[in-house]
Amino acid sequence: MTDGDYDYLIKLLALGDSGVGKTTFLYRYTDNKFNPKFITTVGIDFREKRVAYTATNPNGTTTGKTFKVHLQLWDTAGQERFRSLTTAFFRDAMGFLLMFDLTSQQSFLNVRNWMSQLQANAYCENPDIVLVGNKADLADQREVQEKQAKELADKYGIPYFETSAATGAEVDKAVITLLDLVMKRMEQCVDKPPAEPANGNGATKLGDAQPNEKKCAC
Amino acid sequence: MPEPADMINLGFLSDSERELILEVLRRDEELRLAEEQRVRKLKTELMEVKRKGAKRGSGRYSQYICARCLEPLTRLAVFSSQCRICNHHVCRNCRRVMPNDSWVCNVCAKESDLKKRTGDWFYDQRFNRFSTAPGHDLVRVSLKKRPASKKHETAGQTLLRSTEINQHLASAVPQPRQKNLTFHLSEKSGSITSKESFESRDEVWSRPVRSDTESAENASIASSKTETETESGRGTPEQPRTENQPVRSSPTGSHVSSTTAAVRADTVKAASANSDANTVPEVKPVNPSPELEVDRLFKKSVRRAPNPPEYVSTLDLRDGCHKSEASMGNRSRSVPGLDLQEDDHDDEEEEDEDIDRLVSFHKRTTASSSSSLRSSKSTLGSLMSIYSEAGDYDSVEVSGDIIFSVSYEEQTQTLQVFVKECHKLAFGDASRQLSNPYVKCYLLPDKSRQSKRKTSIKRNTINPVYNETLKYSIHRSKLFTRSMLISVWHHGRLSRNAFLGEVEIPLDCRDLDSPQEDCMALLPKAASVVPASAFAQYKGELVISLKYVPPKKPPTEKIKGKKAVPDEGGELHVIIKEAKNLMAMKPGGTSDSFVKGYLFPTKAKTTKRKTSVVRKNLNPHYDHTFVYKDLALENLKGMCLELTVWDREAMLSNEFLGGVRLSSGRGTVKIGKEEMELDSVGEEVSLWQKMMQYPDSWAEGALPLRSTMGKAKGK
Repeated sequence: MTDGDYDYLIKLLALGDSGVGKTTFLYRYTDNKFNPKFITTVGIDFREKRVAYTATNPNGTTTGKTFKVHLQLWDTAGQERFRSLTTAFFRDAMGFLLMFDLTSQQSFLNVRNWMSQLQANAYCENPDIVLVGNKADLADQREVQEKQAKELADKYGIPYFETSAATGAEVDKAVITLLDLVMKRMEQCVDKPPAEPANGNGATKLGDAQPNEKKCAC
Repeated sequence: MPEPADMINLGFLSDSERELILEVLRRDEELRLAEEQRVRKLKTELMEVKRKGAKRGSGRYSQYICARCLEPLTRLAVFSSQCRICNHHVCRNCRRVMPNDSWVCNVCAKESDLKKRTGDWFYDQRFNRFSTAPGHDLVRVSLKKRPASKKHETAGQTLLRSTEINQHLASAVPQPRQKNLTFHLSEKSGSITSKESFESRDEVWSRPVRSDTESAENASIASSKTETETESGRGTPEQPRTENQPVRSSPTGSHVSSTTAAVRADTVKAASANSDANTVPEVKPVNPSPELEVDRLFKKSVRRAPNPPEYVSTLDLRDGCHKSEASMGNRSRSVPGLDLQEDDHDDEEEEDEDIDRLVSFHKRTTASSSSSLRSSKSTLGSLMSIYSEAGDYDSVEVSGDIIFSVSYEEQTQTLQVFVKECHKLAFGDASRQLSNPYVKCYLLPDKSRQSKRKTSIKRNTINPVYNETLKYSIHRSKLFTRSMLISVWHHGRLSRNAFLGEVEIPLDCRDLDSPQEDCMALLPKAASVVPASAFAQYKGELVISLKYVPPKKPPTEKIKGKKAVPDEGGELHVIIKEAKNLMAMKPGGTSDSFVKGYLFPTKAKTTKRKTSVVRKNLNPHYDHTFVYKDLALENLKGMCLELTVWDREAMLSNEFLGGVRLSSGRGTVKIGKEEMELDSVGEEVSLWQKMMQYPDSWAEGALPLRSTMGKAKGK
């Protein structure tokens, strides 16, 4: 698994309340299996998956180039007691799967808190995030309506998916959408016109106390 | 405020939780190492592209030639031929068109491509963000010259390092207290804490507080002293390697004793002074002065420098200055070690140094982690097995079998190989009819030292009984892609080791829960596997030049002591110029390398040649010539020149760094009594042929190093 035969190493991270199904979601994504047992994640864990990614132009046409992407999918403990540990890993991820449980109103209300945690700890203030409402198969126990969740996602300007790790519905789509966002951002970061950073540079400089400060890359 | 990873206090975790997390971090490390290797390879590619374009950043060149291929440009083309990133004028063939119909020159394209592939786009942003956070700034100001590798450090890495270190301490049984104290001091950079607090396991996970550089330096001296005193006080002789362990296991990153920072500060002055004087933006030969400076400083103030900065610029991109603006101006002035002053650059320049730093950083972490996972036991034992990688061992007719069991212990997450005994082994030393067998394991595909485990050596027996358990700490889920290679070796005390046979056990379909004893017949080495995998691992390159001097023409050059013989045969001259991107073998991420050459077929050691040792350099310049005499051109066709690079290890066996084998690539050659296939490939063949084709002229090339010299036996 860890041979270097890939083009990009992309690190994604799943976060959200305890029990929303982060681990089973990732297990479904990487192994296409479902484990109904609830085993609480100790601190952190990760899974890996190799995928082929085909870049698309802004107008939707494919460029025809396909890359091998090695995904490192970080799984974090939702439990409060691991919080200091898990948030430390936020900064190493390039994109985020913010998950809540469609059968738990509380987990949905906490999305707001997770958002602010992300904004404070991720590599930049507006990282790429996908909002995921999990356990869509448990329709009879549903507490969060799609409209509600969609509105919140729109407010943040992020995509929203209702997934089910049990059936596998929309799981792949959610991850691939996130991967696509990350890859697009990567292109933007690298492909910026050269004049822009030079200008931004002077403006953000706060004084000589920051010899290490560099220009904003985006 | 963001909480940096190095401030997490994980004292709340229970032992078993910590073990679990540690295991995750180790897996992460594995992935990271693979990634580092990949990035290093990419870097080398970029270097090659840059080499091809001869224009430098000065902009003094005619704008009427292409900056990349140096072909003349038509007058008309000049107006529309400027690359929008580097502003060089570039011909049509040296451009890459982007999806939005704009274009950039091929070097800029390659650079941005690299930025994506290495993940630098991400690390840059993250570095930005956290370096401007208020709390972080305080630390930064106090530690301005911290190694830049911090930028790429992940939380996992930081945590893993802090725990790995302490595991080492825990296992260093004979003198745990002294070591704890010693390392503790250097790690904490000045804040002296009592031993007791350190030994409480909770403390172990909390991260040290940084202090200013001055006190750090003092602390390190103090720590060195403490160590000397305690050691001499006890009068316990200790293996030098073990003693180094704690420091070796963490030569990277932020918290690594701030002594580095202190020294860096001085070095930077030296380096920048150097660069100021050096205003001509031309490529200069390696200028040793910054390194010497560093050396001196380290000798004076720090006994055990964990992170000597001279290898910071291991991958030198000097040739690649192609940007005309300030951003590239700096690189054109670059001398080795100059990126030490990265923190003094203004922002734009720093951006450009990123890739350099990235690479040097990768070097450092590779060096550190290769030792961090190694148990102290395996370090002390056989270095001979490294020779086995080089194919430098005797072969005997394999016989006998081995009895062993493989099991997985869930509780401790370890894979255990119980080696019981062997029966009717071959004699490793056939002439004296004796064998001193030992058993060695690798958890494939990892064939590095990290994955090596060995039993003890049993003297003078072909039916050795071991009853020893070799352990691997690894997550169960990882095992399915692995296989266990168990080999038996004869330990030749004064002669070479001999291979006595091996078995390979794939772990994916094996029941590891109910261990059963297996008796398997030993097999000879799978020869066919060797050539395919020899280049799989990037080991660096060797730059050499070959010339055949035909007979009766007195050679024109003077090479030491060779004019004396009025021989009738021709001569083969081999200039060992330099090696690039060698693996780091020594603590501090360097190697003391030399090159050894053999011309096969040969009798005894008459064709053995060696260069001198170049110390502390992963890109050493040897500039040494091997001369082989009395050779007819026709003979060369059936000959084979083997060059191997070694890390010199005083008192111990040298370590194999890589090698090349030059020949026509067809047929076999006799080495001793063995037929060996001429398995040269690619440039190894083309360079050899070029040499034969054009006598009296130099054939030069950079050859990738093989990771193993294992010989394919002749059919």
